[in-house]
Amino acid sequence: MKTWLHSWRAAIRIARRDAWRSKGRSALVLAMIALPILGVSALDLTYRSSELSPTERADRMIGAADAQFRDPGYGGAPIFQDPIGEMSTTAKDYENTSWPSGPTDVTKTFPAGSTFLSDSSGTAKLTTKHGLLVTHVRELKAADPIARGITTLLEGRYPEKNDEVVATSRFLESSGLSVGSTLSARNFDRPYRIVGSYEIPDDLNAVQVNAVPGAFLAPYAKAVEKAGLQKPDISTTYLVRKSGGFTWNMVKELNTKGVIVASRAVILDPPATSEVPLYQKENWGNFESSAGANAAQLAAVGTVVGLAMLEICLLAGPAFAVGARRSRRQLGLVGANGGARSHIRAIVLSGGLVIGVAAAVTGTVLALILTKVLQPYLEETMGQRFGAFDIRPLEILGIALLAVLTGLLAAIVPAITASRQTVLASLTGRRGVRRSSRVLPLIGLAALLIGGAIALFGSMISQQFIVVAGGSAIAELGVVAMTPALVGLFGRAGRWLPLSPRLALRDAVRNRGRTAPAVAAVLAAVAGTVAVSTYMASEETQHRAEYTAQMPHGTVAAFVMEEGGRDVPAVREAIERYVPVDVRADVARVAVGKPSCQPWDSGPGCGRFEVVVPPANECPMYATIPGGGDASEKYTPEQRLKMITDDWRCKEGRSSGMYVSDGGLLVGDAALLKVLGLDEPATVKALADGKVVSFNPVNVDKNGMYGIKQITDLAAADKASEQGRPAPGKVVALPAYQVPGDQKSYGVQALMTPATAKAAGLATAPLGTYASTDRLPDTEARQKLDGELTKLGSNVDLRVEEGFVNDNSLILLSLAIFAGLVTVGAAGIATGLAQADAEADLKTLAAVGAPPRVRRTLSGFQCGVVAAMGVLLGSAAGVLPAMGLRLNEERQQMRWHEDAVAQGWSAASEVPYVPIVIPWETLAGLLVAVPVGAALLAALVTRSRGALSRREAT
Amino acid sequence: MSAQQPVLQLQNLTRVHGAGATEVHALRGIDLAVYPGELVAVMGPSGSGKSTLLTIAGGLDAPTSGRVIVEDTDITTASVKELAALRRRSIGYVFQDYNLIPALTAAENVALPRELDGTSSRKARVEALKALEEMGLGHLSDRFPDEMSGGQQQRVAIARALVGDRRLVLADEPTGALDSETGESVLALLRSRCDAGAAGVLVTHEPRFAAWADRVVFLRDGAIVDQTVRSEADSLLSGQVAEA
Repeated sequence: MKTWLHSWRAAIRIARRDAWRSKGRSALVLAMIALPILGVSALDLTYRSSELSPTERADRMIGAADAQFRDPGYGGAPIFQDPIGEMSTTAKDYENTSWPSGPTDVTKTFPAGSTFLSDSSGTAKLTTKHGLLVTHVRELKAADPIARGITTLLEGRYPEKNDEVVATSRFLESSGLSVGSTLSARNFDRPYRIVGSYEIPDDLNAVQVNAVPGAFLAPYAKAVEKAGLQKPDISTTYLVRKSGGFTWNMVKELNTKGVIVASRAVILDPPATSEVPLYQKENWGNFESSAGANAAQLAAVGTVVGLAMLEICLLAGPAFAVGARRSRRQLGLVGANGGARSHIRAIVLSGGLVIGVAAAVTGTVLALILTKVLQPYLEETMGQRFGAFDIRPLEILGIALLAVLTGLLAAIVPAITASRQTVLASLTGRRGVRRSSRVLPLIGLAALLIGGAIALFGSMISQQFIVVAGGSAIAELGVVAMTPALVGLFGRAGRWLPLSPRLALRDAVRNRGRTAPAVAAVLAAVAGTVAVSTYMASEETQHRAEYTAQMPHGTVAAFVMEEGGRDVPAVREAIERYVPVDVRADVARVAVGKPSCQPWDSGPGCGRFEVVVPPANECPMYATIPGGGDASEKYTPEQRLKMITDDWRCKEGRSSGMYVSDGGLLVGDAALLKVLGLDEPATVKALADGKVVSFNPVNVDKNGMYGIKQITDLAAADKASEQGRPAPGKVVALPAYQVPGDQKSYGVQALMTPATAKAAGLATAPLGTYASTDRLPDTEARQKLDGELTKLGSNVDLRVEEGFVNDNSLILLSLAIFAGLVTVGAAGIATGLAQADAEADLKTLAAVGAPPRVRRTLSGFQCGVVAAMGVLLGSAAGVLPAMGLRLNEERQQMRWHEDAVAQGWSAASEVPYVPIVIPWETLAGLLVAVPVGAALLAALVTRSRGALSRREAT
Repeated sequence: MSAQQPVLQLQNLTRVHGAGATEVHALRGIDLAVYPGELVAVMGPSGSGKSTLLTIAGGLDAPTSGRVIVEDTDITTASVKELAALRRRSIGYVFQDYNLIPALTAAENVALPRELDGTSSRKARVEALKALEEMGLGHLSDRFPDEMSGGQQQRVAIARALVGDRRLVLADEPTGALDSETGESVLALLRSRCDAGAAGVLVTHEPRFAAWADRVVFLRDGAIVDQTVRSEADSLLSGQVAEA
């Protein structure tokens, strides 16, 4: 043992000094190993630092209070909650009966002797430098010691007077205001002065303003209501302090009074799952990941780490081989001085160890420094401050050990190769053809066959995606192991090539031991890229085929539901300004109740309307059954299928499309027909004649009438719906014109003019605008329009029909670039190795009169040959698993489709389309551009002289 | 001298490279014994088999037939591992140039065989420093090869060849890359080590350097054509010079 240690020390000393002597090569390998380590360590540090300890979590949630009391809105009915107080439900099951609802007076549940602080919040549209900004307004006495930890004051002070507020830094940024500015709200003219800025450590992106309790929300709500608008919802929680805190039993006791309690004591020391009644309830189990899921996740992470290490080893291995090759004489000297094969192996392995340790230290130290330096940016990006800079020594050490392991693994093959050289051959510099192992390709073949069989089984028989992926990975590794044998096959092509490429190819094929790792590295990277590219290209084609346009191409539409469409004119103006409008069609919606109500608004004074489907037109499958239930269950699958395919009432399609309004009913003029391309003369005429133009025959009864039911009593309507009865309401029947044929109307199922609506006594509210364009607005116009609409402070639903937009192209490009870089890197290293070997050949070539450029061209071709072989093999190895995955998907979708048809839920004609598309552009780039680029690069960086020195006199 | 056990014995040594039409007889039936305190010079024209003889004697190459005995061990039957151990403990090599490992200092180079043998770094260093001191090279101990002259490097190589218990130095043209004055100093050192009890085999082209030997062996086409003891050397060498 001791003897072994002493000889290793000598080996490490030689390796360490050698690494220092060839700094360039060492730095390259070090960077290759250190970079991933840096990334993973930094990720670990960031993850661990952002993970909050229970104390930190409690501080941010409830400040210095002992508990936060919250009203879940069950009207005081007993509840169950989770220990943190995030989830809750009623203790009793209400199933189909109506759930309790209503506020609870939380303050009555405070134990005697406790002090509390209220924390209310609501939203308001605040005036900013640019316009309006929807802002979270909070009324928490943040300066109070109880609230300490919830917010952090950055500048100025907390508000003390009723006309003072503090704002989050993000609010100041978005609003263009600063400390000292004054702000007010829409419909509420009282000015507030910003006296400070703060941040919420847990939510750095919060656009929030904090006022003195009672100073903003209540008067604002009053003013808004006075203006005829819906007053904002104000929710209040309470931070409670009580000596002794709140135990889990106390929390459960308070739950019986219908209050959620987030207690510091419980957060710090959570009860066992068995003591949490919520977790005992059906479907409310503790959703912590199971052991099986953990194992699967671990296996996935292990596979990724393993493959990444393999890739690095394949890349770094040849670099160590270059080192061993260059120091051949030195290794020979060690042999002459009694170094056994094990010593030679130790020296080359030490090279890996030294670089590995250096990479581990460099990577870890850089990760620590970078994470620390970039902490503010990381926090901004994550929108959350770190708890503490959390260094887990064991994890960091483990990651660092991966670097050492990678270094050692990368040096194993070069070490074995070097130790097999005889001392005499090393000393005299005699070159032998290095044979690669014969066993490895056989193992590779076995892995390829087994992996291929698994993948085939996965795509043909099993439905499991993971089986295909796993089998492909095994097959991939098999191909990597077979690389030396495959490289041999290329040798036969050499005969027809001119001198330099012939020399390069022969040299590469004869020295497989050196070529194979580089080719394998390229192969692995390219195979991965091609697999993902093929899969994504196939998916893109599928998505393109499946894409349904929401509007005719080039149409822009914007809708505003809020505040009775108050901002619609501004939206129209903005569109006119930034979009090259051809035809503009303004639309309105039928409004029931107060004009300020939104569609589906359940507030007081609000109502809604329904488009009446005459009983004769109702699809029997979807009919409402008195007393509730599913009508479709009454029919056999065959009957259902027949209805879907043959019954006009059951056909989907006419009613599908973008949601524009209830029942697809819009109020507008003929311009909309023009924008949507539905302006046939008969249709236009019918509209002008005061008829409702209908695109869905289901809504028109046999007398040609179209019915609109105005529902004003929402509570009665809800009750009727629960009982399976039609909602009570006044029905207005209007003469309708059913547009013949099966025209695509983009979600618009009916249209009437404002005059028709008015004549029928229907109130309307502006909804928005459709605009057809000469050309699509460019990115700049889009950004300006978005900015303009944001300033309105209203929730504007803007849609631009650009056709199918592929968002994968960037990923595909980055993948191709990654594969290209790996290819150039691996081919470059292999070329360096070949050059180290080829000195004697080059001298001979020079001696027989070869021009100086031969050195350049040879090196270029050597690089190109490695790149080309790797890319060719990798492309073949990558396309196959992607095809396997797609076939698997097709089988799965076909099975779902068959099931759906058999059950009568889908028409047999709607066969799923799962194409396999080869990404020829990416392949062409990889197959042609990358090898040529690698070759040119190698030729460019190779000195043309050097080898042409005079032959030594012997 | 003959009463002592020889350090190196070559018995009926032959070495054939290749087979059939490309067959080359590098050595044909060589018999040679080298005793402690003796320096034997091997001379001969290019291709006469000088270097082959030396590599086989040191176990770097195997003979086609015959025996090589180094201090009672028949190295022709030894395993690769045993041969490496033998080179660590019994045989020292000095080549024409680039003898030292560039990554190690002079002392570390000398200590290398001992360290490879499992001696602790500190002990090996003490032994190495002692060897260097004995040869008057103590001042070079912490220099790297590229900080030393060629002559200094060769002298350090001799020190390494004889560190520990090693008593056999095989030197292949150790002065080939040096000017004559420096060459003389290297040979002087080698001579002094042999006088101190080591056995040396020196392959050289130059009669001037062969003059330092106790015995000169002439090789031609792989066979010993003549042997001379030191007293006869000078007269013979003068003839050899004329021939050359």
